[in-house]
Amino acid sequence: MKKTITVCPYCGTGCKLNLITENGKLVGAEPADGRTNEGDLCLKGYYGWDFLNDTNLLTPRLKHPMIRRTKESNLEIVSWDEAIKFASDKLSSIKKRFGADSIMTTGSARGPGNEANYVMQKFARAVIGTNNVDHCARV
Amino acid sequence: MSNSITEIQETKCLFVFGYNAADSHPIVAKHILKAKANGAKVIVCDPRMVETARIADQWLPLKNGSNMALINAFANVLIEEGLYDSEFVALHADHFEEYCETVKKYTPEYVETITGLKAEEIRQAIRTYANASESMILWGMGVTQYGQAVDVVKGLASLAVMTGNFGRRGVGVGPVRGQNNVQGTCDMGMLPNVYPGYQNVDDDEVRAKFEKAWGVPLSPTPGYTLTTLGHRVKDGTCKAYYIFGEDPAQTEADLAHLRKTLRGMELVIVQDIFMTQTAEMADVIFPATSWGEHECVYSSADRGFQRSFQAINPPENVKHDWEIFCLMATAMGYPMSYRNTEEIWDEVRSIAPLFAGATYEKMEGLKTVQWPCPTVDHPGTSFLFEGAKFTTPNGRAQLFASEWRPPLEQPDEEYPLVLSTVREVGHYSCRSMTGNCSALQTLADEPGYVQMHPDDARALGLRDQQLVWVASRRGKVITRAAVNERVNMGVVYMTYQWWIGACNELTIEHLDPISFTPEYKYCAVNIEVIKDQTWAENYVQTEYSALKAKLRKTASATL
Amino acid sequence: MNRFVFADPNQCIGCRTCEVACVLSHQDDNRISAFDPTRFYPRLTLVRNGQVTTPIMCRQCEDAPCAQVCPNNAIYRENGQVHVIQERCIGCKTCAVACPFGAMNVVAYPVERKSTSTLFAMNTIKAQALKCDLCDHRQQGPACVEVCPTNALRIIEPEEMNKLNQQKRQEAAVAALSGVPL
Repeated sequence: MKKTITVCPYCGTGCKLNLITENGKLVGAEPADGRTNEGDLCLKGYYGWDFLNDTNLLTPRLKHPMIRRTKESNLEIVSWDEAIKFASDKLSSIKKRFGADSIMTTGSARGPGNEANYVMQKFARAVIGTNNVDHCARV
Repeated sequence: MSNSITEIQETKCLFVFGYNAADSHPIVAKHILKAKANGAKVIVCDPRMVETARIADQWLPLKNGSNMALINAFANVLIEEGLYDSEFVALHADHFEEYCETVKKYTPEYVETITGLKAEEIRQAIRTYANASESMILWGMGVTQYGQAVDVVKGLASLAVMTGNFGRRGVGVGPVRGQNNVQGTCDMGMLPNVYPGYQNVDDDEVRAKFEKAWGVPLSPTPGYTLTTLGHRVKDGTCKAYYIFGEDPAQTEADLAHLRKTLRGMELVIVQDIFMTQTAEMADVIFPATSWGEHECVYSSADRGFQRSFQAINPPENVKHDWEIFCLMATAMGYPMSYRNTEEIWDEVRSIAPLFAGATYEKMEGLKTVQWPCPTVDHPGTSFLFEGAKFTTPNGRAQLFASEWRPPLEQPDEEYPLVLSTVREVGHYSCRSMTGNCSALQTLADEPGYVQMHPDDARALGLRDQQLVWVASRRGKVITRAAVNERVNMGVVYMTYQWWIGACNELTIEHLDPISFTPEYKYCAVNIEVIKDQTWAENYVQTEYSALKAKLRKTASATL
Repeated sequence: MNRFVFADPNQCIGCRTCEVACVLSHQDDNRISAFDPTRFYPRLTLVRNGQVTTPIMCRQCEDAPCAQVCPNNAIYRENGQVHVIQERCIGCKTCAVACPFGAMNVVAYPVERKSTSTLFAMNTIKAQALKCDLCDHRQQGPACVEVCPTNALRIIEPEEMNKLNQQKRQEAAVAALSGVPL
């Protein structure tokens, strides 16, 4: 049995909790003595982790890159190389034709964390060349 | 938040405005209970009898959409009764004269009809707030999700300035941030006008620093916000949208309009962990690792940086978010690569002075660092504005009051009820995570609920738990009636995570002029009783199964 | 006097963490992966109305009405606790009617009747009268008490009850004095 310290992925209180794994599989969660939660957790903290086991209760986990070749076609599974090439070619083309400010980006206020958001706004500002950067703070 | 969540326990008066801690932040609710046990007076301003109102010393059930009028009346009493801290105001605040002038007409008697509160209740509440040695204000989306939101936020902060409640422990103002890392996304510059660490993109000196660090020229023009996207697509100035870990097709106001916006683009890229209704409309899907599958730093609502570690291995073919951005950047001619998240974090620290001292080492295990933390030997900051030094250009607080503006879409004969969107404890945001958790989805599942007062239900001939149609000028959804005495008459409440009973099909895209936040808390709706409940139950099940099947097929590319 | 779980309505925020903890505690496999939404039978139930929010559960009554009325002698008291012998429960609901707290939850669900041949396998109905058993199968004590984020749920031990009573008597005595005209 292994315990790993995480920060709860739901509200902004920042409760620390231990994820409990056995042989690499997630089996439970317990409160840790974080600054804000002082050893307590709420409903979602205790029981809000089993989506990681891809339960398929509501919607499936995304496990492969996908692209839609034309607006009329369905999404298809492709390799990472192909997906990156498809997306970057299209973005570059839109930037060339309509300018960098014709591209909008939004970050994630949830699981990805600060480093990923930093890299995304750097991508938007330094690579695309726009300050069209926002996130769902207003929701 | 200007002060720490843990300081809630130290305050002597807790002023809770439009904030339902029990449902949105249960652990903050625990701190509120501890504050009360420690002798703090608790005052709650909320149209609903939320759990905090139940234990409050005073509950002010104001009318929905009357926030600014009530706050102006509070200010009026502070001035008229001489309850404000004149020394603090003279030393640390500007615009006192204009402030007095604006709130002059907002006597408690004048706002009685606007707020539905008695003048004496208003006087009593603000006296309690002003007379306590330490008073703290907490607010939530009941303040910010109105067409008049930023004005109200400034108005609340002004009450704290007027009473000298800044720059000490157990005082200040606390907008309690909703999502686990909404503070972090702001900290990291996920905003159209600032770089990481709240440095303005239109400040030449700042921009020069970032241009040097990143090795490319940068745009001096602030970008546009997500909520103005619709107009940009319509007028042809926006062609592509890269969506990272969000489900706007569930969470934005007026969903029909949002779907049209997404369809109007040349390219929509979605990077996420689940097949959401937004992902289903994408042209490119990048599958990413989830919380629990990667290491990172999150920012809590009270500016606390904390590390979260990797517990399990991700599915085989998914990548870390930052790796995907690096691949995209490199493919677009800007080679970018990092060895790990610590290397990224160290880059953040090197260009954001507010965070410079918050090293990975200082956040080892359960430890946390609250910014500002300018140097490695700095312990971090529990409360802001020590010595009443404010972060305005002249270091002084700017008192502010504004005329009250009623919400835009008022109820009428056709749509006689007001709809306000709220939270519930068991589900979160777009629900792609909590909806996949077995216990949470057992406690509450589709099509969600519309809460209403027993008298409103009676007038409609409606019984508790019956399915009903709720309609606005923008859409119509089916949901279940939850008749309960805690809500006020004439207003109904829905939570926004339901995919069948999606209340954002109904909400209005009326934006605050400064924050561009939609008026999620106020639009006009009507309720239609469904005679054939068996049909309705079947309809919900059929729709729900069809939606789930469609998302499964899309994810496995077997459409 | 016996021990029982008590919920303080002044601390409860209505989050229902206790209900989920209760259900998991009474599964054969306590893990969430074994959670069965069709058998969600918590032994305490959150009540939320115009005035109050609090879970309601068995008080382990000294003179338990449920035990008195059970026609099949399925309910008995032992070690200060009211027990139900589930094998004996016939699902008649008399206990549920007798309980003044509404704490007894009688449920029925189909189970496969054990048979030596699959040819004769069939479903029968099994009834259970479910109520708080203080998680006596659980070393750490009641699961609801452990998870409650606001400590609204606690175990009241007999000694604590005595202490509380003594304290209240002291206060009452002082109050009585102030009420007497000198």
